[in-house]
Amino acid sequence: MKHSVNRPPTPDEDDVADGFEKDKVTLREIINVKLVESGEKENLMELVRDRLVECGWKDEMRIACREHVKKKGRKDVTVDELIRVITPKGRASVPDSVKAELLNRIQNFIVSAAL
Amino acid sequence: MSARISFLKNPDPCNHLSDYKLRYGTDGYKSFNNLFRCFNDARIKIKLQGIDIPRCSYCSVYQKRLYICLICRSISCSSHILLHTQLNKGHDIAIDVERSELYCCACIDQVYDSEFDEVVVSKQLFGLGMSVKSGADVVAVRSNKKRRLDSQLIIGSNFLVSPRDRREKWTFPLGLRGLNNLGSTCFMNAVLQALVHAPPLRNFWLSGQHNRDLCPRRTMGLLCLPCDLDVIFSAMFSGDRTPYSPAHLLYSWWQHSTNLATYEQQDSHEFFISLLDRIHENEGKSKCLYQDNEECQCITHKAFSGLLRSDVTCTTCGSTSTTYDPFIDISLTLDSMNGFSPADCRKNRYSGGPSVNAIMPTLSGCLDFFTRSEKLGPDQKLNCQSCGEKRESSKQMSIRRLPLLLCLHVKRFEHSLTRKTSRKIDSYLQYPFRLNMSPYLSSSIIGKRFGNRIFAFDGEGEYDSSSSSSPSAEFEIFAVVTHKGMLESGHYVTYLRLKGLWYRCDDAWINEVEEEVVRGCECYMLFYAQETVIQKAHKELSYQVISMADAFPFADC
Repeated sequence: MKHSVNRPPTPDEDDVADGFEKDKVTLREIINVKLVESGEKENLMELVRDRLVECGWKDEMRIACREHVKKKGRKDVTVDELIRVITPKGRASVPDSVKAELLNRIQNFIVSAAL
Repeated sequence: MSARISFLKNPDPCNHLSDYKLRYGTDGYKSFNNLFRCFNDARIKIKLQGIDIPRCSYCSVYQKRLYICLICRSISCSSHILLHTQLNKGHDIAIDVERSELYCCACIDQVYDSEFDEVVVSKQLFGLGMSVKSGADVVAVRSNKKRRLDSQLIIGSNFLVSPRDRREKWTFPLGLRGLNNLGSTCFMNAVLQALVHAPPLRNFWLSGQHNRDLCPRRTMGLLCLPCDLDVIFSAMFSGDRTPYSPAHLLYSWWQHSTNLATYEQQDSHEFFISLLDRIHENEGKSKCLYQDNEECQCITHKAFSGLLRSDVTCTTCGSTSTTYDPFIDISLTLDSMNGFSPADCRKNRYSGGPSVNAIMPTLSGCLDFFTRSEKLGPDQKLNCQSCGEKRESSKQMSIRRLPLLLCLHVKRFEHSLTRKTSRKIDSYLQYPFRLNMSPYLSSSIIGKRFGNRIFAFDGEGEYDSSSSSSPSAEFEIFAVVTHKGMLESGHYVTYLRLKGLWYRCDDAWINEVEEEVVRGCECYMLFYAQETVIQKAHKELSYQVISMADAFPFADC
């Protein structure tokens, strides 16, 4: 259990989700189900993936990972540790334009799904 | 490099993975075979039947990294996977649901096993419509839907190189072969692809008209670019489809143009001009018996050279002085304003075309702009012969003689001397696949100046009297060099049209593309060939058999 305690919580989702009862279906989950069912989630994932490559975010992360591995030594790094170290940097450096575009796409989806 | 590969190939399995394999072998992996679901971008996820959104069996969270236990198939999130291992002894190895990668819960790290990867990748290949064993036997079905196979190719053991990709290339016309990037040399690869598939050049070299074994320059120990091109042509048409490295040509070109001998990115238009010039120099010297002819007989000039006419008219007395200049390509100005050139707008109104065309720069607009009558500014006064004074004048360009292969260069890189800045114009330019050049011929241009009359102007009439209807003014596109990116750093990609189909040549990678892709690209150099040349090339369905007559199709021009 030690390791799992050490892990920082994945930002926001947990904080929001924890506020509700576990059984209760949250709005966030309804939207997620709709996104998955319609296949839009796959499209969005691909969009984000493409955007992050285009804007150089992926290269940036690759460099950060390499640096970390170099610093720690190749044998002494685990994937989990990398995720723990890089995730905060990665989340912070996603360009606002990408976030805005994604948000816009999700909004459009919700509007079209509601109609 | 080899050390790195062996490291990638044989990472030590952790004790937990070894234990698991000792006990279960690969059966556990295989039982997951029908749960892998492939996506077109070569990712593989695990999909459990009846469950759309997998959740952690402990906290039912779905946003985190989820792992499925190889033994009991229960799903745990990254926070609870350790708990799962502690509660169930021996349940150490799990698969990442989103990525289909092995994870050791006890080591808290990703683990690698070639046998697991084999199961996943064979599923992936199967998902792409092929089975690994029968890969070579399956009849090649060309799907328009291109899939990204990069991730498989990167893994790169013999087994993993996708048979589909290989097979597709075999059905490509002979001569299509990727060129390796030798360090920012896509500018060279892009031009080479276009030149290698220019029918007259191809016929010239493949028929052995410049044989590197017989070349006098080479036997004298001199550098000879045509010989290097001979090597390239042999390599391209050898039937071997593995990407080729044109290193000796690059070296040779460096020797010829020492100022360009760097690993920096170059302008592919500059490379094109410099390469043709060097070939002309090398070729011209070995064929001095043509020297009394006024036109150069070297292969580059026979193929690319045309004649420009420029008329300078004195605005005071109206007298015109005419000069003729040979050209091997035409550089066209692309600016937002010439998209609106009056001729262009008029044409659109006349044809009643959609109004979108009026806003979008078109190739015909650029050519109209090129052949327009241009008032020279007061600072460019020329000495008028009839007035005997320096007068303001206007200048107009037209094409006196069209080349066999027409290279149009779009000036996308603008260098301002006054502001000392450079910028790239990346606006879209609409261009046709079939181009009629007759409106830009001297006969038409000069004729227009005098109104709609039928008689020979300034000797243009008898030269190409039938030019307006002559088939030689009809051109068909065969290659487009495109530039993506910015001024300082970008990437050149060539689109080739062979037997009516388009192929994208991006360094080492070649694939078939739809017409729309080509129409939508950011064209930088357009290569057109006279319709008859293309038709002739089209008839030579198999490129291997080239008779001497076909090999020398420009005897009559």
